[in-house]
Parts: sequence; structure tokens; C-alpha cells
Amino acid sequence: MLLFRSEEWIDKWCKRNNLERGEILTIQQVWELSKLWYQDRLSVDYHGRSIEKVAEIFKQAGLTSAFWHVAY
Amino acid sequence: MSINQSILWQVRHFVYNHFADTTLPPSIEDTAAYFNISNEQASAFYKKLHSRHALFLEPETPAIRMANPFSGIPTDFKVNVNGKTYYANCAWDMFGIPAALHSDAIIEAVCKESNEVVRLELKNGSIVQAAVPGEDASSSLLVHFPLPFSHWYDDLVFT
Repeated sequence: MLLFRSEEWIDKWCKRNNLERGEILTIQQVWELSKLWYQDRLSVDYHGRSIEKVAEIFKQAGLTSAFWHVAY
Repeated sequence: MSINQSILWQVRHFVYNHFADTTLPPSIEDTAAYFNISNEQASAFYKKLHSRHALFLEPETPAIRMANPFSGIPTDFKVNVNGKTYYANCAWDMFGIPAALHSDAIIEAVCKESNEVVRLELKNGSIVQAAVPGEDASSSLLVHFPLPFSHWYDDLVFT
């Protein structure tokens, strides 16, 4: 996941690397996702997470498009 | 070699604490010494954690490349927290480090393609500043996720 100054720079990068555009989030969206995803990572009780929990986090972060689909 | 599941997750916790304390991953020798086990046993735990996506090893070695959000090597995403400088694996993980450490942070990151260096400040759980030299970039900085979730672990370095 890379940081870009604008959508124009994302398009240039995708074109240069012959890649389709993926999903674009604002830094505010990524910060909110990070808090949900990483808040318990240093806990001794963290033993990985279930696919259901991943789906719940994406939903909480408002990421509901097919791009974020989690296969059960 | 059978893997003791209780020790396995203690090893994971040790790796993360080592990153948090020192900004670097523990070597096999560090981990073996801490748990009073052989280097081979420590390596087996690392490989098992790698297979569980709990950390990511360099190819063909027991060296830790990533314990997300922490990077074992320098990157374009430098995160300063409480006087320590960490490296994050990507633009998502640069936010993941202050989230995992529950701390304020100053992030210095390079925008891909335009090569501008951006400075972000996180304070009390919020982004309070995002700037490139001479201007406020709070509303325009973007993170590109090139692959859908279902393909993130196909090639984690690319992802």
C-alpha cells in the first residue's frame, strides 16, 4: 500500500507499472482502519484473527465494496 | 518437530515486544536465549508463525522481514514515537505503528511517483497535521491498495 499526493499520481504509477487501479482511501480512512486492525497487536492474548473478525473490521471501517470481500 | 502452541504465541509476543522496545526484530539467537531453547527450535517457531501470517520471514532465512506493522528493514515510511524511530512496511502500516503502540507519532513518508516527502502528526488519536513543505496536504493525501483482500498474502512484499 503506497502513499500518493493525488489520484493523478496514482494513475501515473499504475500506467507505468501496467497495473489496474485498486482501491483508494484517504489517510483519514486508513488511520481509522489502522486503529481497528492494529490496536490489539501487542497484546499477549493476540493469536491472530478469524476471517469473521476481518470482515467485521472492514464493515466497521465502512469498507463494504467487493474489493474488501472476505471469503468464508 | 512438534510445535508447542503456548510457546508459539509467546514467541510472537516476544517478537512484537522486541520491535516495540528496540525498533528492530529479534535474531534467532535473541529468541533462543530468551526462551532457553536451541536456535533450531527458535527457527521452527519463526517458520510456524510465518505460515500463520503472524510474521513474515526473508526468503530461505529465519530473519524477520515484517511483523506488521513493523518492518525489519528501512523503508520510505519512517515513524517517530516517544524518541524512537520505527520503519513501517507500507502507507497503511505507518498508521499501524502508532495504533499498535497507542501513542502519538510524527510520520515522515515519501509519496510514490511524485517523490514528495510528507510529514504527518498524530496526536490524541487524530491526524492533526499532514503537510508537504510549504502547504497543507491533509485533504489530498491518498493510499492506494493495489490488490483486493483475497490476494494480500499472495506476495506480501508487493502488497
